[in-house]
Amino acid sequence: MNRWIWPVVIIGIIVLLPLVLTTYGMQLATEIFIMSIFVLSLGFIIGYVGLVSLGHAAFFGIGAYTVALLANVTTNTYVLILAAIILAGILAFLTGWLFVRTSGAYFLMITLAFNQVVYTVFFKWKDVTGGADGMTVRAQLDLGFGPVQSQLALYYIMAFSMLLCYFLLRRYIAAPLGKATLGVKENEDRMKALGYPIRSYKLIAYTVAGAMAGFAGSLYAFFNRFVSPEVASWFFSGEALVMSIIGGVGTLFGPPIGAGLFVILQNYISTFTARWPMVMGAIFIVFVLYSRGGIAHLLKRLWNRLFTKEEKLAEPAKVAEESKTEGGQA
Amino acid sequence: MSLLKVEGLSKSFKGLKVLNSVSLEVQPQERHVIIGPNGAGKTTLFNCISGVLPIDEGRIEIKGKEVVHLPSHSRVHDGLSRTFQKNNLFNNLTVEENVYLAIMACKPYRYKWFKSITRYHDLLEEAEELLKRWDLWNRRNKLVNELSYGEQRLLEILLALASKPEILLLDEPTSGMSPAETALTTQLIQDLPRSVSLLMIEHDMEVVFAIADRITVLHHGQVFLTGKPEEIKGNVEVKEIYFGGGALAGVNR
Amino acid sequence: MSIFLVQILTGLAYGMLLFMIAAGLSIIFGLLNVINLAHGALFLIGGYVTLSLVNNYLNFWLSLLVAIVVMALLSVIIERFLLDKMYGQEFEQVLLTFGLMFFLADVAKWIWGTSPQSIPVPDYLASSFSVGVVSFPVYRVFVVLVGCLVAVVMWYLETKTRIGAVIRAGVDDREMLGALGINFKVAFTGVFAFGAALAGLAGGLGGPILGLYTGMEGDILILSLVVVVIGGLGTWKGSFVGAILVGMADTFGQMWFPSFSMAIIFIIMGLVLLIKPSGLFGKGVGA
Repeated sequence: MNRWIWPVVIIGIIVLLPLVLTTYGMQLATEIFIMSIFVLSLGFIIGYVGLVSLGHAAFFGIGAYTVALLANVTTNTYVLILAAIILAGILAFLTGWLFVRTSGAYFLMITLAFNQVVYTVFFKWKDVTGGADGMTVRAQLDLGFGPVQSQLALYYIMAFSMLLCYFLLRRYIAAPLGKATLGVKENEDRMKALGYPIRSYKLIAYTVAGAMAGFAGSLYAFFNRFVSPEVASWFFSGEALVMSIIGGVGTLFGPPIGAGLFVILQNYISTFTARWPMVMGAIFIVFVLYSRGGIAHLLKRLWNRLFTKEEKLAEPAKVAEESKTEGGQA
Repeated sequence: MSLLKVEGLSKSFKGLKVLNSVSLEVQPQERHVIIGPNGAGKTTLFNCISGVLPIDEGRIEIKGKEVVHLPSHSRVHDGLSRTFQKNNLFNNLTVEENVYLAIMACKPYRYKWFKSITRYHDLLEEAEELLKRWDLWNRRNKLVNELSYGEQRLLEILLALASKPEILLLDEPTSGMSPAETALTTQLIQDLPRSVSLLMIEHDMEVVFAIADRITVLHHGQVFLTGKPEEIKGNVEVKEIYFGGGALAGVNR
Repeated sequence: MSIFLVQILTGLAYGMLLFMIAAGLSIIFGLLNVINLAHGALFLIGGYVTLSLVNNYLNFWLSLLVAIVVMALLSVIIERFLLDKMYGQEFEQVLLTFGLMFFLADVAKWIWGTSPQSIPVPDYLASSFSVGVVSFPVYRVFVVLVGCLVAVVMWYLETKTRIGAVIRAGVDDREMLGALGINFKVAFTGVFAFGAALAGLAGGLGGPILGLYTGMEGDILILSLVVVVIGGLGTWKGSFVGAILVGMADTFGQMWFPSFSMAIIFIIMGLVLLIKPSGLFGKGVGA
């Protein structure tokens, strides 16, 4: 199997998709790309580090608000996005330094509480953030060739950003840093005995994920031109968790699939009923009960059944195991 | 100077003194075996030396350097490495990946990202050499889960060796193995270069006497006796407390 | 000064409500190793059930009782038909409760609507009494008393009864339960139902003070999780102390720094984590 086939197919689809999409479809696709970056960063720390966070939207929100607030000072797109990434990264580093001492249920609860603090700051600090009313983003996306006005350009920029993030994480997990991080997830005690400072690996991954979520948030600010505290709410964190689990953690292509399916379903179902959270909850429960490893796992299994005979052994077993992060135990 | 020096080490759990002022030394090149009945505190001693457990009192020196305050992962970089009594491996990874992780721990590029792990040729070569020496080369693409117990036990030792330790702590390397596997493992341990000093916990007396230069008998958390294998064999009291006379008799024949 | 005293009572009453929720969360975690993220939703539904019954002219006490029973039954269904399917896989179980939270909260929104509501209480509880110049609302004193009663009941159950001994054994060592020949699945269901009943009770009792509103399940869940983190998982005593701490911090925080009371609670939590990562009364990190 040529290793270039999949990347070419995926990129081909993304490049050609605008030919068939309606305006609404383009809008949705662009949003999915941004969500994918966010969910990728979360799926990464769940699947490869074993850190199940329920507060990841904090970093998305920080990224989005950094752009919205700093736009009063400068409108340079590069400066704004970079500031969002760095700020989210620094916050992830500082909080992570404290959080990664814990694991499992504690980690889940602490990240959730932290998320709520960030949300409260955006919500209550009315003079600066506009409180619950949110605020308009004054800056426009401008890569140096004038403001990006066309929907098509926006689509490609977000698609490129997502592919870039995917590629970077791909390198991360294939490299020594990522392999060691996976080792920490699999067996902390042994990693210590081998001579690895395990907290460093967790902290690095958590910081990277936070910065990437901040990046997604900054793109969202440019895309939506408006931010409200909802982007930093724990509910949004929860949705991201649902997306990554449905898509499949322990792979990098699972989270974007989860994000895509989620956003499409949400928009579709919302057109005829207000009971989307109920439907989402039910779908999620069904996935947890009957499809561990999410859609990514299902696809892999299907693929193996159809096209390969030999390689069946290793992969499915691995994915099934990887969905089994340390959760409530440890 | 001794490679490893433990002095007056004490450790209690909930008021129960598991280790009581234990002192022992491992010299360069030495193969030192700790024996003692169950509950003598052998594994606790290992956990203290390797830094898994904090100690209550005493000193631990590696090559003259006090390491008590150092976390376990730092002690590895001072030349100490250990195995576990119960297999403690990366069960969902392949044998090869296990070995990569073990070797990488002491490489300067262990924090590097971007370049794939398989592009570090020294890593691949070292892994190949180790896997071949330890008879696991053919199994390198299997998940640890799919290995036999004996093979997992070998991998356990292999991982500890990957950091090129000067002192290797082996916690009952042959426990649970079949006689054939035990013989193989004993041979492999004997074949280790003398540049690796051994501190080993072992129950199987044949293995003990095949490997040991010196033996320490641990009893109720205290060092009962340290001496050459012949001295231990001949010591009546050791037979009493540990072997009940039986096990040693078999070796003495 | 008088404001100060009334605020202490407010903080205590709030703390007691949090205690009832957090204690349930904590003992469920202690035995099942699962953080029940649907706990806030159970609280909310407990409150709404009470509200509906009171609005239909049922006696406040009876309504409360029915709400408790309903929550216990609902949780038995959840435990038997959902959590039990994922027995031994704690992470998946946590995810299940997470999906349930979305589901239940939306059901509540569907049935009871989105406008904030409050539960009316009997006249004799709605009044105030005065000590000197300070006038205290009777209902809050009542809530504090109920909270203390719950604590006493839990203390009694834990130390004086066989059930308590069984659960303590299970918290310390789950394999022990099997060895003792105890059907631990029954114990699991029982503890889960007990925790849910407490959440229902807290919902019914808290309705008159805190009101009932859409999204409350999250607020309550987060606060009780903070309580549990501060107090330590698996211990109701930790929840008791943690809940009073958080109740007070939140009440006085609202008074002095209205915008940042949540931050104050969070700082307390951070400090506890730094000094004792397993919480004030907890045994081990994350276990």
